[in-house]
Amino acid sequence: MMGAFNKRITGWEWLGAAAVLILLVLLPFVASSFQLRLAQQVLLFGGVALAWSLLGGFTQYWSFGHAAFFGLGAFTAGLLAQALGHGISGPVKLLLGLALAALINFAVAAVMAMPVLRLRGTYFAIAMLALAQVLGEVSKTFDIFQGSMGFVLQRIAVPGLNSVQTFYLLFLLFAVANVAIFVWVKRSRIGMGLTCVGQDEDTAAMLGIPTERYKLLAFVLSAVLTSIGGVLYAYSLAFITTDTVFRIDISLNLILFSMVGGLGTVAGPFIGAAIMIFITQVVLGGLLHLHFLVTGAILVFIVIAAPTGIIGLRNRLPGLARRATGSEART
Amino acid sequence: MSILSLEGVGKRFAGLRVIDGISFEVTERSITSIVGPNGAGKSTLFNIISGYLKPTEGRVAFRGETITGLAPYHICRRGIARAFQISKPFPELSLRENVLVAANFGRAGERDVDTVTHQALDICNLRPVAAQQARTLSIGNLRRLEIARAIAARPLLLLADEPCAGLNDTETRELSEVLLRIRDSGITVLLVEHDLKAVRSVSDRVIVIEAGRQIADGTADEVFADQAVIDAYLGVPMT
Repeated sequence: MMGAFNKRITGWEWLGAAAVLILLVLLPFVASSFQLRLAQQVLLFGGVALAWSLLGGFTQYWSFGHAAFFGLGAFTAGLLAQALGHGISGPVKLLLGLALAALINFAVAAVMAMPVLRLRGTYFAIAMLALAQVLGEVSKTFDIFQGSMGFVLQRIAVPGLNSVQTFYLLFLLFAVANVAIFVWVKRSRIGMGLTCVGQDEDTAAMLGIPTERYKLLAFVLSAVLTSIGGVLYAYSLAFITTDTVFRIDISLNLILFSMVGGLGTVAGPFIGAAIMIFITQVVLGGLLHLHFLVTGAILVFIVIAAPTGIIGLRNRLPGLARRATGSEART
Repeated sequence: MSILSLEGVGKRFAGLRVIDGISFEVTERSITSIVGPNGAGKSTLFNIISGYLKPTEGRVAFRGETITGLAPYHICRRGIARAFQISKPFPELSLRENVLVAANFGRAGERDVDTVTHQALDICNLRPVAAQQARTLSIGNLRRLEIARAIAARPLLLLADEPCAGLNDTETRELSEVLLRIRDSGITVLLVEHDLKAVRSVSDRVIVIEAGRQIADGTADEVFADQAVIDAYLGVPMT
C-alpha cells in the first residue's frame, strides 16, 4: 500500500533502474524469438496494469472493464489504418493511430467518468465491466466496425530489426513512459490526494482535496495510457477482431498482475505479469485448460498469504521469520 | 465580529424534520459549544456547515459569503475544517503523513507545509508518536490526530465534533487545554460535545438544541441554569 509521501529516490534506486533498463534494451539481441515474445507481453501488460493502477492502485476504484479502453484504442488504430489506405507508410499510420486513440479515449473517458465515478466499490467495478461488454458488442454488431471479421494491420519493423524485436522495443518504451508517469503522479500533490481518496474519500474531501477532479484526472489518464497499449498490441498482432482485444481476461489480468506483484507499486504490475505469464505460458504452456484453474488458485493464495503482493512481502518477511523462529514470543 | 452565521437553517430527510429553523452567529476567536440530547441534530448541523449535506432551507454564511451547498473541499479551502466524531484517519499513513495531507490541501494560499505540520503536531502533543501508523493509534491519540489534522488545514473556524467522546478524565482535561490553545492561536472553535464539564471549562458561549430546534443560547452558567434546558436535556441542575 502506498505511503511515505515525497520519499526521495536514492542513488541506488536510480542505479538499479538504469541497470535493469540496459539489460532490457540488450535483451532483443540475445534472446530467442519465443523468449522475446514472453518479454513483450510482460512489458505491454505490465505497463497497462500500471496504467490501471493509476486509478485502481491509488484510489481503490477497481475497474473490471479496462479492456474497453484497450479495445477502443486497438479499433481506433485499425479503422484509421484502413481509412488511410495503402498510400501511407506503416509507422506513420501507427503514430496517427496512437494520437487518435489517445484523443478518442480521452473524450470517451471524460464523458463516462461523470456517471461511473459517482459509483463506488462493486457498483463501479460492474459499471466498468458493462462498459467493456457494451463496446465489444457494438464493435461486433455494427458492420462499420468490422469486429467479427477483423482487419489486417501493416507489419512494422525498424531497419536492422525484425518485427518481434521492433515491438519489443516499442513495448519497452511504453512501459518506461508509464513508469515515469506513475512515479510523477505518485510523488505529486495529485498522488497524495488520490492516495487519500483510496483510504477515505469523504475525509479527503473534508480536508480540502478536490476528490472529483483528481478521480477524473486519474480515470482519463489511465484510459488514455491503456488505449495506447491497445494500439501497440493491435499493430504487434497485425490482425485484430473484437475477441482479441475486448476480452474480459485482459481486464481481469490487469487486476491480477497488480495484486500478485503489489498493488499501487511501480514494479508490482511487471513482477506480477512476469510471474503469471511464466506460469501460464511456460510451465503450463501445453495445458491451456488449466490456465484459469491455476490463475484462480494463485489469486486465492495471494489474497490469503500475501495481500500486499510480492513487493509487500519484503516488509512482512522479517516479522514472518521472527514468528517462525519463535523469537517474537521470547521478546 | 461574526465569522459564521446560520439563518433559518432547516433539514428534512423525507418527512422527518431533523433541523428546524436554526439561526445563530459565531463570534471570531471564541469557543462556541452546541449541546443537546442524542438525535437533537448537532452532527447534522455540522454536516450542513461543512458541506456534507445541503440544507432544505436557510442560509449558511462564512465571513459574509454564502457557502450553502458548496462542496466540502471548497468549504475547507475557504477556512472551515472539521474534526470528526468517529476518528477517520487515513489508516495506512503515518500520523505525520495524515497531518501533512491537511497542511498540503486545506485553506488556499502559500504555506510552509512542514512548519504547519510540526506546529499542529506540537499543539496536540503528538510529536512523539508522529511516525506511528494511524491504524495502530490509541483512541486518545486518534482524537488528537483528528484535531491536529483539522488545524493543519489552517482553518479560521474549527468544527470539533465530540472530541472528548471515549476519553478518560485526564485525556479530556488535556484535550480541553488543546482546544483553548487553538482558540488562543486565533482559530474560532465550534464544538459539539456531550461532556458538559469540558463544555463548561472551555466555552465562551453555549447553544442548546433539542429535536432540531434551538432552545437556549448564552454563557455556560446561564444555559445550564435555564429551566427549559434542565427539562429537555440535563434532567437535574448542574452542580
